[in-house]
Amino acid sequence: MTKESVSVPKSAGKLVAVDGTSREIARRAYRIMIEARLLEEKLAVLYRSGKIVGGVFLGRGQEALSVALGVHLRRGDIYAPLIRDQAGRLAFGDTILDTLRTYLGSSLGSMRGRDGNIHRGRPSEGYHAMISHLGAMVSTVCGALMAKRFRGEAGVVGATCIGEGGTSTGSFHEGMNMAAVEKLPIVVVVANNQYAYSTPNSRQFACVDLLVRAEAYGVTGHRAGGNDLMDCLKVMGEAVAAARAGKGPQLVVADILRLVGHGEHDDASYITQELKSSLLGRDCLELARTALLEKGWITEEEVFEWRLNVEKEVEETVSRVMREPVPDPAEEDWNAFASVGRNSSGEVE
Amino acid sequence: MMSVTYLEAIRLAQQRALAEDARVFIYGQDVGPFGGAFKATKNLAKEYPGRVLDSPISEDAMVGLAIGAAIEGLRPIVEMQFADFSTCGFNQIVNHAATLHYRTGVPCPLVIRLPSGGTPGSGPFHSQSMEAIYAHYPGLVVMTPATVEDVYTMLLEAVALDDPVIFCEHKFLYYHLKADKLPSEALPFGKARISRPGRDATVVAYSAMVHEALAAADELSHDGYDIEVVDLRTVRPLDTDTILASVARTGRLLVVGEAWPWGGVAAEVITRVAAEGFGLLDAPPQRLNARETPVPYHPALWGTHRPTASSVGNSLRQLLEL
Amino acid sequence: MFPTPDSMHLLPIIMPQLGESIAEATIVRAAFAVGDRVEADVDLLEVETNKAVMGVTSPCSGILKELTATIGESYAVGATLGYLEISEEDAERLGLNDLPPAPVEKPKKKKSAGSGASPSFKKTVEPTVSGLPVPAHAGGASFLSPRMKARMAELGLHAADLAGVAGSGAGGRVTIDDLERFLQDLERNTISPASSMRVAVADAMRRSWTRPLATVVLPIQLDALLAHRKQQVVKAGPALYALRALSIALSEMPATAGRLIGDRVIHPRSVDIGFAVEAEDGVLVPVIRHADQFPLTDLVERYNRLVELARARRLPGSDTGGSIATITNYGVFGLTMATPIPLPEQTLLLGMGIGRVTPSWNPTTKTFIPVTEAQFTLSFDHRVLDGGAAGRLLQRVSTLLNSPAEL
Repeated sequence: MTKESVSVPKSAGKLVAVDGTSREIARRAYRIMIEARLLEEKLAVLYRSGKIVGGVFLGRGQEALSVALGVHLRRGDIYAPLIRDQAGRLAFGDTILDTLRTYLGSSLGSMRGRDGNIHRGRPSEGYHAMISHLGAMVSTVCGALMAKRFRGEAGVVGATCIGEGGTSTGSFHEGMNMAAVEKLPIVVVVANNQYAYSTPNSRQFACVDLLVRAEAYGVTGHRAGGNDLMDCLKVMGEAVAAARAGKGPQLVVADILRLVGHGEHDDASYITQELKSSLLGRDCLELARTALLEKGWITEEEVFEWRLNVEKEVEETVSRVMREPVPDPAEEDWNAFASVGRNSSGEVE
Repeated sequence: MMSVTYLEAIRLAQQRALAEDARVFIYGQDVGPFGGAFKATKNLAKEYPGRVLDSPISEDAMVGLAIGAAIEGLRPIVEMQFADFSTCGFNQIVNHAATLHYRTGVPCPLVIRLPSGGTPGSGPFHSQSMEAIYAHYPGLVVMTPATVEDVYTMLLEAVALDDPVIFCEHKFLYYHLKADKLPSEALPFGKARISRPGRDATVVAYSAMVHEALAAADELSHDGYDIEVVDLRTVRPLDTDTILASVARTGRLLVVGEAWPWGGVAAEVITRVAAEGFGLLDAPPQRLNARETPVPYHPALWGTHRPTASSVGNSLRQLLEL
Repeated sequence: MFPTPDSMHLLPIIMPQLGESIAEATIVRAAFAVGDRVEADVDLLEVETNKAVMGVTSPCSGILKELTATIGESYAVGATLGYLEISEEDAERLGLNDLPPAPVEKPKKKKSAGSGASPSFKKTVEPTVSGLPVPAHAGGASFLSPRMKARMAELGLHAADLAGVAGSGAGGRVTIDDLERFLQDLERNTISPASSMRVAVADAMRRSWTRPLATVVLPIQLDALLAHRKQQVVKAGPALYALRALSIALSEMPATAGRLIGDRVIHPRSVDIGFAVEAEDGVLVPVIRHADQFPLTDLVERYNRLVELARARRLPGSDTGGSIATITNYGVFGLTMATPIPLPEQTLLLGMGIGRVTPSWNPTTKTFIPVTEAQFTLSFDHRVLDGGAAGRLLQRVSTLLNSPAEL
């Protein structure tokens, strides 16, 4: 583990619980969306030039939804992001540096080369490192919240995100059910982006609306307009506040469209043109910019400067990380145990 | 005179863990007021309110919850009602709990108790011995205590370890095995025990099979054979040193396991002895395991499905003849 | 089942298995008294496990004949708690007539240790027993287990050393115990350490002997050689004459000194001939390189110097090894004939017996005339050459020895 700490912005501690739509929050959220977008564009470029090992999965088009959850969390909360949550991660305190370190395989990254890309996390800081099996993180967040409850920590919230495809898994069902039985303060955000890889919703679930499941599980449901930053901020604010206030699990379902392939190896040619040109297909970054400009909460000059700074930071970080050492198999101890050493033959037992 | 059954020892160990470590809690189906399907948590929910909780029938989420709690520093004990049902939570065990420390550096100190092994009439889904499957995954400690004393001390040890522990307790031993009192000392973690010293052949066994091996050794002693029995106690880590020392004494090895032969604990022991102790072997090493079918239901079939004192004795006689 | 003379059957009442892993239960109450008539499927007894109170039901109608269990006591699953007397019809219906009698408890036999195998199992090992690389019933099988090999390596022993050990293991193999007993037994003899020379020669002879060796014999007359020698100022010994003769013969037919490796004959590169010299506790073999290229007189000094060095055990490495054949003169010991063993890396060994005056038939004068004759032996690796070739080689040596001026 590196010694770098998660830098949760000071402003997070001062968040007002109920109104999620303050100017401060919106500005912060929008800036993070820009960071996420530009960082991921860089990741796509690095991938296509062969600099990244393994798969690359981007969250283009889902930044508003993801950041809206992240900005409402604070230190002490539990956050288990999934694949398309670059924005939420940055909001929770993940850094451009650690992101690039993990993707570019620097041995100084938080996972030290032992896991990569979106599997990164710092569990001891509440930032869970996902496993590939969808749905598994719901119960893990529940467990962390149980522990905090045992310790008498009040006002804590756990949060995790998942796609509509992930909700088909048994582990999602078990996790939601358990969260409800235990009445845990968890916010589960379902980003229904219409396609699970190439599988359309018609092959994924039969109920008319995923939000119906909230009632079935015995939890509170919320609907968010997935590409509308202000709506997402409002809904997430309400959901997180409700959880923090002891109202039990909150299920947020947002309709959205993925503006990118399932992974960078995929061209998303199965997404219909109709969807792409619908309202759902509009880019949340553009919509947010328009909305915030209209409100007078940002200026064109600020945005321009933000973009420039982010680009610069990304470029510099890439150069820095490319010079860092990669994991050395000879330096590894190749031991998966915390308490078991090697026997007299030198094998891990 | 008071005597402690294997099951009562488990209960007492959990009671002590709850008493001495505020981080411990127990999660499982029917473990709360009912005290557990096998009464392994009898009265504990009352004595430790809020720390012995009934879970829904959700093995995946039970383990996931335990992992999350362990990340936050608690020491959960998950009771699976039967080892055979742990496969419903297999993903969380082997892909999440087992990998957490390696991937993130954060330890995962949970214990999953698996009531394992066959009893007459328990059938294919209430009889399995799953130690080999879990031992296959680096990151999981797998314990298989055979005695009342060991099940007590090793469960406490499991709770204290920073690694996830698969604790395979044997159902048949629950009420069939008794001891006069609980021990105050134990062998070090991961060490095997010489249950019976001998000279002519070594039987390596674990869990209920240790008792079959001891009975077989007793039977063979009437014919002048002196059989050494090694109780592994833990399957992973495996105490290769003790096993090799035993084979050095006797030159002949039979490994007995209640599970199936393919890729099992017996196969692992024999591989290590063949690789590291080739020059110690006076005869080819042998293994004895369950027949290669699902565990049958009818006691007449079950009686010959897994190794018994009688079949262990037969294998030993063949081994001694080589 | 104990059939009674009045055609009634006694059915034991058995403690049932009342749950997973339950081993025993306690009798709480008897619902009936001895002598009562009971119907089928009624509870005869109430028993308590750790989980619940359950009933023990009658499988059949009949009379409660006997209650062997005591209220308040615990009994194991499968234990007999009492007996129901049932009718013949019911016994037949339940298939009780065909049940085998209850097994009689066998008292435990206490045999003294070391009494050997009991007769209750087969003594001979089935050939299908897995693992041994030889059929286990093959008598005298020479299987050496890894443990045996490790122990033998530790002691510096070879299989040849075990030739005298009778094996008591499966298939007649020598076991560790046989070996240890054999070694212990040896200690009762006088033992002297073998010199490193002795051990080296032993190893060489053992390795050589793994080939099929044969020997042919030819008497050769030495008179011409002896006369030639008398006229020389610098005198060569008979062995050197033989060495020169052999070297010329081999230069003419080099394949006879070749070595067979697999299916190829490896021809010698140069005619280097060794000769045996007895040194303390062993034999050394100095070598004359390119012996075919030097006349006899040129070799005498070199030969004598090599003999001295060998006897003094100061033979340099460059003057030994690499020869393609060897000469040995066992005649110096008074031996007429011998079957010496060629060096392990060589195919041929030419041996010379003692020269003796012997009558030889002269067909012209039809009389016996005295000649000096010695038996020459050619010991050879029979894989490389046969008796005919060996004989021809010896004949050529004989011819050359009888024209000593050409040597």
